[in-house]
Amino acid sequence: MKFFIDELPVLFPYPRVYPEQYAYMCDLKRTLDAGGHCVLEMPSGTGKTVSLLSLIVAYQQFHPEMRKLIYCSRTMSEIEKALAELKGLMKYRTEQLGYEEEFRGLGLTSRKNLCLHPSVKREKSGTVVDARCRSLTAGFVKEKKERGEDVELCVYHENLDLLEPHNLIPPGVWTFDGMLKYGEQHKQCPYFTARRMMPFCNVIIYSYHYLLDPKIAERVSKELSKDCIVVFDEAHNIDNVCIESLSIDLTEDSLRKATRGVNNLDRKITEMKSTDAAKLQNEYAKLVEGLREAEEARDENAFMANPALPDDLLKEAVPGNIRRAEHFVAFLKRFIEYLKTRMKVLSVISETPPSFLSHLRDLTFIERKPLRFCAERLTSLVRTLELTNIEDYQPLQEVATFATLISTYETGFLLIIEPFESATATVPNPILHFTCLDAAIAIKPVFERFSSVIVTSGTMSPLDMYPRMLNFSCVVQESFTMTLTRRTFLPMIVDRGSDQNQVTSQFEHRNDPQVVRNFGNLLIEFCKLTPDGVVVFFPSYLYMESIISMWQGSGVLDEVWKYKLILVETPDAVETSLALETYRTACNNGRGAVLLCVARGKVSEGIDFDHHYGRTVLCMGVPYQYTESRILKARLEFLRETYRIKESDFLSFDAMRHAAQCLGRVIRGKDDYGVMVLADKRFGKKITQLPKWIQMALDGKNTKLSVDQAVGSAKAFLREMSVPWTRGQMEGTSTWSLEELETHQKKQKGMGVLGVEERRAEGRAVDVVMMERRETVEVTEVTEVDEFGGGEDMDALMGDMDA
Amino acid sequence: MSKAASRANGASTKRLAEDGDICPVCKSSRYLNPNMRFRVNPECYHRMCESCVDRIFSHGPAACPIAGCKRTLRRARFREQTFEDLKVEREVDIRKRVARVMNKTESDFETLRDYNNYLETVEEITWNLILKIDLEATEKRLRLWEEAQKAEVESINSTVSRRLHTATDTVDPQSDTARVILKKSGVQRKALGPSSANTPEPGAMDTGLKDTGFTFAGLKKRVAPEPEKPFDPYGGWNIEPQYYTVMDDYDVDFISGAKTDVHHLAGGYDIRDFYSRALCEAFSGFGVFVEEEVIARENQASGDVGVGTQTAATVADGGKEVNMDDIF
Ligand code: SF4
Ligand SMILES: [Zn+2]
Ligand SMILES: [Zn+2]
Repeated sequence: MKFFIDELPVLFPYPRVYPEQYAYMCDLKRTLDAGGHCVLEMPSGTGKTVSLLSLIVAYQQFHPEMRKLIYCSRTMSEIEKALAELKGLMKYRTEQLGYEEEFRGLGLTSRKNLCLHPSVKREKSGTVVDARCRSLTAGFVKEKKERGEDVELCVYHENLDLLEPHNLIPPGVWTFDGMLKYGEQHKQCPYFTARRMMPFCNVIIYSYHYLLDPKIAERVSKELSKDCIVVFDEAHNIDNVCIESLSIDLTEDSLRKATRGVNNLDRKITEMKSTDAAKLQNEYAKLVEGLREAEEARDENAFMANPALPDDLLKEAVPGNIRRAEHFVAFLKRFIEYLKTRMKVLSVISETPPSFLSHLRDLTFIERKPLRFCAERLTSLVRTLELTNIEDYQPLQEVATFATLISTYETGFLLIIEPFESATATVPNPILHFTCLDAAIAIKPVFERFSSVIVTSGTMSPLDMYPRMLNFSCVVQESFTMTLTRRTFLPMIVDRGSDQNQVTSQFEHRNDPQVVRNFGNLLIEFCKLTPDGVVVFFPSYLYMESIISMWQGSGVLDEVWKYKLILVETPDAVETSLALETYRTACNNGRGAVLLCVARGKVSEGIDFDHHYGRTVLCMGVPYQYTESRILKARLEFLRETYRIKESDFLSFDAMRHAAQCLGRVIRGKDDYGVMVLADKRFGKKITQLPKWIQMALDGKNTKLSVDQAVGSAKAFLREMSVPWTRGQMEGTSTWSLEELETHQKKQKGMGVLGVEERRAEGRAVDVVMMERRETVEVTEVTEVDEFGGGEDMDALMGDMDA
Repeated sequence: MSKAASRANGASTKRLAEDGDICPVCKSSRYLNPNMRFRVNPECYHRMCESCVDRIFSHGPAACPIAGCKRTLRRARFREQTFEDLKVEREVDIRKRVARVMNKTESDFETLRDYNNYLETVEEITWNLILKIDLEATEKRLRLWEEAQKAEVESINSTVSRRLHTATDTVDPQSDTARVILKKSGVQRKALGPSSANTPEPGAMDTGLKDTGFTFAGLKKRVAPEPEKPFDPYGGWNIEPQYYTVMDDYDVDFISGAKTDVHHLAGGYDIRDFYSRALCEAFSGFGVFVEEEVIARENQASGDVGVGTQTAATVADGGKEVNMDDIF
């Protein structure tokens, strides 16, 4: 359908649109017009991706400056889904407009997924693929070839140079499969095609890392212009991605390997001095002048890029005492030896970067400045030495990155050396964590550089947490719900068992026999009443293992076994995917299965349990982080001191976003239905931290149930759900045709400001206070944070149906 | 990044068997004697165990027991080894010496490039010492440089003291030291000759007066520090009233009598003291906002990244507890 949002014509590739999709698009447009950042929460299964793409593509085509869209998602499968949606959308646009628009949409993923070279692509590990590809494509290898030496090059890469640089691939949207096919036909490398075509694309879809990890971003995303529209989808975990991209762990083993790497470099330098001293001299001369070659910056094969250096420093010349290759190598050696001595501690050390640096200077006379240039200097050296077996230098690279980071950031980072693996260990096995405490550091360049950044996900409550943690301000902040004509999911909080004993995963009580028994009863009962699949989430592997073994002893598992096949997630990816496959098969035939998994594991983040694959989800206990970790403690303290986020607020926010992720796994669309059970008495007080769409569906009387009461409600709910429901009944309220949409728009225009009813009709989260007053309370600020919503209309509706 | 840098299994067992764990002198190993500790002497950097050191050197200086070394070592100079790699241990000792002499900073130079050249030269000197290239010559030049530096500092100190005493001494205090160096440099010039190709030539002395061992382009002249200002006990804090100015006289009825009344003038009483006191009382508390203080007390967070990092470090150390009870 085609409709207008203000002056903007939007082509939407489906005949009907959900009200929340429309509202979502309106907010997106508002953000783009205002030129700022926004945070939007929209439940999964409401077509978030397609709304996003439709609006932004419409916006691009309507405005002459054609702002580029950078769409970042988390996993390969999500990126592929987005590419497919985009392809569908562009096809629809072509049909509607009657002509094909000049448009390019590309996805980018690692070489491992896009390589065509017959022997390279068979390598299992991504780093090996990268390294081997580099040895086949690097500039100096090519030079050697030209000089007539016998070296191997990748033809797929060579062929690219024969094409026009801005037209390596015809316009259109290219999925990864499409790219691979096209590459095979034309004998050109899909990976480098995508990389080189990025400046000429209208839409780029890739993983977060290409933008957030400074080591990759520097290389891949450097040329993107300032007015790009950046979208982070599934962004509920973005703070952790940011932190991980700047944290480094070093062990004694990796230091040993780094030493080996340095010694290799040393040898290579001596060799080169006798064979080709001019090269080293050349590099030296360049460093003296402080020149960075233009092509160097664009080198798509660079060994590693500089992690997050301020621009002014990038323009400065490398300090004199590490200009000469041999001096630099000795410098690295000294630094690594120093780190080795630091590893020999017997108690935990925690240090800020300045204190580390001053100790380092006292002991080894290494100053801060040359340390900052470590990563850059190493890259230059590796390039000069024309090294090809780069994977051998990985540990050394890590040390250099560490050096650069610790000397660049005085704050927001912490060095923790733990000599023992656990509190009870007696043999030291030290590990050095260089941990980033501040998620804002990695993402800051993104917010600063791009004028519009859209952060969106199904679970982002409380909405203001993200702007605070990531330290940015946004122009629009909104939470959407799912507009439904009947309640298709039933969230419940179970706080006690049938015996009135509490249900909780609190540390002091989690192993009490009553608690374990009540968890067991809950599982048995829901396995009895649920058709097809049941998914169960535990706070940690440790707890899952201990509770399973206790259930084993008390016969719970035998009881469950009568109704469902039992499958368990393990930390091993292969085992887990096997379990998942079996689970699916069991759900497709027969009585179904129960999958026991962990709230922070792979399953909870990336696997969908739509329709019969998940009719009930049980969250056994609040999925808190392991609070004894020093790194977590340090981060909590940092958040409190710096961003004024209380420790308990952050911990429960973090636990609840994971719980919400788990719950969201079973509802993947409007025609899906399922039961969501939060089994812990502590959930009762944290309702407000659930996403709005779950909050609003959570009936007040379902927040304090015992196991048998929950079973009663769930049975009634499932009975209702078995009544056939046609699409026709959804029309008007939960999906709009074009006329309905236009009626709504007309009404809205007359109003100026949205009232409660209109907000609700659009699927926006509504404040409970406003609902009670039942008047058109004016919502002057849309960025207001909503508190809690109940679904009174739902009740009325349910009542009607019962009658 | 490699968050998953797993700890190498068995790293600890390897640690015990590391090759360096046998004393080269008495051949006892850490395996048999877990408390064994090693010592090195910066004279030759040969390792030996503590009991060997005690045995061999307790009666005064003796020759190093390692074959082919023969250096005379003193017990007092034996010390614990900091770095696993003894080459680095020695390198650091040499650096310590060089750093004491070559202690210029970036601000001492006209341009960054000059500073970088200086750094490179220093690095080269250090490596000459470490690799024993041109050892004699380099040592000498270092010594010269040190003396020249000292002389410069002294001359500045004397200028400062001269300034303090406002004495107008016409005799150049530099001339004495300069003459000494001049005498030496004549000898050194010949000795130095064509030194290592890497290091710059001792520099054609533009003045032809003294040889400082090294010359660095773009090195600023040392200037005498600004004379210190008189001590301010308030540390720059202003005690002038902020919200009012006290005037000499106020024309108010109720004090007009007191102004002229002789009784009030007893004991040197001044009416102006009364004015300033009264105004001070009237305005005290101005500019203090209770609400602000309450808020500040409530969220006792500084909002400062530096403080945050610092406290986080304390927490990770176990120095402070984070409130993390399952508060529900
Ligand atoms: S250039 Fe492309 S095809 Fe060739 S090895 Fe590299 S990734 Fe593979
Ligand atoms: Zn011994
Ligand atoms: Zn010796």
